[in-house]
Amino acid sequence: MVAQRTATSELLRSLRTLTVTAYHPADEDGEELLSQLRRIGCRAQAFWPPAQCLPERTDVVFIAVGPDTILPDWPAMRDTKSSPTMIAIVNYENPTIVDRVLKMEVDGIVASPIRPFGLLSALVVARQIRNSRTSLERQVQRLENKLAGVRHVAEAKAILMRGRNVSETDAYQIIRDQAMARRTTIEHMAYAIVSANDILFR
Amino acid sequence: MADHSPIYVGVLFSVTGDISTIETSQLKGTLFAIDEVNQAGGINGREIVPIHYDPQSSPGLYRVLAERLVLENKINVIFGCYMSSTRKAVIPIIERWNRLLFYPTLYEGFECSSNIVYTGAAPNQNSVQLAEFMTENYGERAYLVGSDYIYPYESNRIMTDLVRQRQRGEKVGERYVPLNATCEDFKDVIADIKDKQPDFIFSTVVGNSTQLLYRAYAEAGFDPRTMPIASLTTLEAEIAQMGKGVGAGHVSAAPYFQSIATPRNLESLEKFRARFGSEVVPNAGWEAAYFQVHMFAQAMQSSGSDAIDLLMPNLLGMEFDAPQGRVRIDPSNHHTCLFPRIGIANEDGQFTIVREATRAVHPDPYLIAHSLGDWTVSLKTPK
Repeated sequence: MVAQRTATSELLRSLRTLTVTAYHPADEDGEELLSQLRRIGCRAQAFWPPAQCLPERTDVVFIAVGPDTILPDWPAMRDTKSSPTMIAIVNYENPTIVDRVLKMEVDGIVASPIRPFGLLSALVVARQIRNSRTSLERQVQRLENKLAGVRHVAEAKAILMRGRNVSETDAYQIIRDQAMARRTTIEHMAYAIVSANDILFR
Repeated sequence: MADHSPIYVGVLFSVTGDISTIETSQLKGTLFAIDEVNQAGGINGREIVPIHYDPQSSPGLYRVLAERLVLENKINVIFGCYMSSTRKAVIPIIERWNRLLFYPTLYEGFECSSNIVYTGAAPNQNSVQLAEFMTENYGERAYLVGSDYIYPYESNRIMTDLVRQRQRGEKVGERYVPLNATCEDFKDVIADIKDKQPDFIFSTVVGNSTQLLYRAYAEAGFDPRTMPIASLTTLEAEIAQMGKGVGAGHVSAAPYFQSIATPRNLESLEKFRARFGSEVVPNAGWEAAYFQVHMFAQAMQSSGSDAIDLLMPNLLGMEFDAPQGRVRIDPSNHHTCLFPRIGIANEDGQFTIVREATRAVHPDPYLIAHSLGDWTVSLKTPK
């Protein structure tokens, strides 16, 4: 209830609930990263070297990307449902390193040596990018499903119009009634008709 | 052979311009402490010599003068700044040359430079306590008025979040006036307040124009008993500027008020007046400016050098018996554990302390969502 009445964005308010995993060597930079994350109020832990699997139950992952870091293939393991925000820490800006960062599909970047100033903004903006990426990906998935459904309905209607010699409106009505009777969606019913047709008549 | 050369330190407080009154008090607090240290034999027998420049309340000049202190005067340590905009102007210089700034002013938080020690209050050491007191005693509808710069914006965001945690809490208005606001600027605000009838007004107006807001309020015939102005920046120095009785009844939150009745405080006030007269009015900014010099001196006593890398390890975690109580520099964020208090201004231009912390409250400069009823920061009514 309080959250809706606040003047402050949820991305900022949620900072203190974040679990952060930092893959960074245990050096001065790593220390600075951890203490600033803790000042911000995140639950932060550091590990080195990076794990081969994406860590579970973590909201944000920082990863130091150096010239000789062996990087895990995280992008392949990501799933759209619960993918952590990923931020790279770089101490070189040459094309080799930037290219490695691009392959990691990160949401943000922090320059080394790490300074307390700037980390909070980088963190919040990266989270915003990740959130909108995730919701866009989900939306695309939904639309793709929808589109496939529409295609199946059109095909099923054509099959019925040919097979039972009915109008388009009647064909649609038949699919709808069948879907209702079987308590399923029209798209699903249409898919069943199309599949059955494929098996029976092709 | 013992080193008897003087230790030069930089001092950047404005004695002219829009924020001259408060910064003059911080300047005198600084000089007073330097005096005390020197009288007691200096730092390991070395005298502290302040080099003071007047930045005339202009952020650009703070930057230029900080650079002059570093490059021409070879200064390692600077005491100074009131407004956030001036601190931000000095930061690039001290970070670039790796020098140390002692900043004796409350501010809006969200900073932790490795080159700064912050001795004023963070929002969890004053805003929360003030919101709690105001909404409990006067009502939940707040009107916000502030000077037009970053500290008021962020302070008002926090206050808005806090009052909205109350059931009927709401922000009924929010206005900003220029730093050098005139009577004219406040006329509009006062008319709007009359119209909106809030339960209290939260003022983040700073500097010399503060008095104009309170005077305009008094002239409008408002009653501080039912609709007071609450503030974190209206302290004894600003009250004194208003003229007799104008500030009475209004509420402020700060870690220090002159009226703290401890022998430690009374003694420093007496010594200060004997040395500097009663023209400069001690307040929370003055007190922070005072104790931070003593903490610097103590740290340097151990380190023997005023280079930041040697000084900082001694400063972090250091405790000191300040006039407000025993303060401590928090090693994790460079801010200071302080004693929040709520005061109501009285007819004598002093604050009657109505609530105070029983132990020091830890600074939490990165706290975004403050909450009312947080027992770690709550205050007690003094006996």
